[in-house]
Amino acid sequence: MNAVTPDAVQDFLREYVVKSLRGQGREVPSDLSDDCDLLLSGYVDSLGLLELMTAIQDHFGREIDFDELDAEQMTIVGPLRTFVVTQLAGA
Amino acid sequence: MQRALWSGFLRSSEKFADRPALFAESKFLKYSELRETACRVAATIQAHSDPGKTPLTAVFAYRSPTAFIGVLGSLLSGSGYVPLNRTFPIERTQVMLERSGCRSIVVDEGSLPQLKKLLETASSPLIVLTPDALDFNSHKQQWPQHTFVAAHELKSAQSWREPSFGIDSIAYLLFTSGSTGIPKGVAVAQRNVTAFLDYMVDRYEITESDRLSQMFDMTFDLSVFDMFVAWERGACLFCPSQKTLIKPGKFIKDMELTVWFSVPSTAVFMKQLGMLKPAQYPALRLSLFCGEPLPVSSATAWLEAAPNSTLENLYGPTELTIACTLYRWDPSRSPSESELGIVPIGYPYPNMGVLVVDDNLLEVSPGHEGELLMNGSQMSLGYWKDPAKTATAFMVPPGKNEIYYRTGDRVRRPQGNAPLTHLGRIDSQVKIFGHRVELGEVESKVRNACRFDGVVALGWPKTDSGFGGVEVFIEGQESAVEKLRAAIGRDLPEYMVPRRFHFMDRLPRNANNKYDRKAMQKLLEEGL
Repeated sequence: MNAVTPDAVQDFLREYVVKSLRGQGREVPSDLSDDCDLLLSGYVDSLGLLELMTAIQDHFGREIDFDELDAEQMTIVGPLRTFVVTQLAGA
Repeated sequence: MQRALWSGFLRSSEKFADRPALFAESKFLKYSELRETACRVAATIQAHSDPGKTPLTAVFAYRSPTAFIGVLGSLLSGSGYVPLNRTFPIERTQVMLERSGCRSIVVDEGSLPQLKKLLETASSPLIVLTPDALDFNSHKQQWPQHTFVAAHELKSAQSWREPSFGIDSIAYLLFTSGSTGIPKGVAVAQRNVTAFLDYMVDRYEITESDRLSQMFDMTFDLSVFDMFVAWERGACLFCPSQKTLIKPGKFIKDMELTVWFSVPSTAVFMKQLGMLKPAQYPALRLSLFCGEPLPVSSATAWLEAAPNSTLENLYGPTELTIACTLYRWDPSRSPSESELGIVPIGYPYPNMGVLVVDDNLLEVSPGHEGELLMNGSQMSLGYWKDPAKTATAFMVPPGKNEIYYRTGDRVRRPQGNAPLTHLGRIDSQVKIFGHRVELGEVESKVRNACRFDGVVALGWPKTDSGFGGVEVFIEGQESAVEKLRAAIGRDLPEYMVPRRFHFMDRLPRNANNKYDRKAMQKLLEEGL
């Protein structure tokens, strides 16, 4: 299996946020910085984050054990992206 | 004196003074501690009360000890509480505060950055209380019209007096999304919520050793169950932080919860994320779901993960006080009693009456479907300062002499001792080329044909007589549409087979996390 690149994960996260915000009729940010907290910024709510995790699994076709990642980090773009890339590369 | 919503908490605070009442922001608060601060807040509100106005206090706090202190303090002062939520758009919060006419507001530290925007637009002077230790001098100078009370300025708990209350005294005022886009306030009386509470506490045999989840934001009325069912019997309430909400499984285990209550969506996602492994949550003795239809597949997966738990599906609009029908899952009977893959909503609470009516508001015969109307001791006072909307929704059906609340939900009138089954919203029934189509049925077939639970069907495009067809939104990864259409086509007539399937990572939801059909309608109108 080809390794998933950080860019691919970043693109997926950005598209997800854009769709979510459009669905709510809200303004869409031009980019997602590494320190952007998806939850605290109000881009995605808690149920939305659970959904985002299932969407990541579906999109990349692999189960990911998100319990490995601390809840404080899981909602922040940079650490989330790195975690997903590492998980997909492993096992 | 008649019992109030706060009565059980006061009793528990004497009987179980040293036991934990609340876990929030990583710390425990004993009953005695919670009572002490809540009484100080209450005494302060009482000292500023205006006898000419309906007493209402806003609680602008989120998942902090102050949020709970604010709710209790408001009630103990004799006010109804109005929950505000800093994760909502500030414009919505401004409208809610303004429409409620609250005189006092309790604010926690995390909500202070947004407070300024509320103070700027408030049309009348506010008493602003913050039980978190804070200095308000700069606020005092900037907004001389408002009164600020910092932690050390709160009155003493000894100066608090238990308030008297009348038959229609408001316990809480909760805003739900209105069809016009302006939130409408539902006024729930003390007597409505104590009727609810009495039944729940007895039914679930809550004791001081129970540990209850607090997943719901306070702006969702199901949070009232969590708080007051726990405190009525000296149990402890466990409130996850906003971040911990995304790890519900870990929270159940770490906190050794015995009672779980959430929307079914949480269970749906937990299943997909591998958080419902067999026997993972043996300590849970009671699992409750409410707020949206509960898929049979989610209920069974949940029970595998929580094998020692009883599972009940609750149903109820805010207007009928939290929940007013329930159904206990029974593995031998329930699969056949479920309809459209959705767990039944069951049987009405005691003191609640059911009427299932047709388009002319006449009762349908047993076995037939119609709109659910209900009344009884949990029927709320109606919409705050909106007699016209109240009169439309709370009305006397022809041939009856009592007021009923129109739920807007489609159910099947039970035959014999069968449970009520929920078939969708009234507005989810559409006409397609003259055929009456229940969108819930389309959703159920789509749900079965693909592996996703998040499915919403809409009539589209609009025609003079109704709609030209059905389109479907699916929460999930795009999959083979032709196969899907063929599978659905085997079960449904052509006019019910969706014309288009729209796959989205996340379907639009409203503030209470329910699917926002209007937003999806708008996407179609915009040419999706």
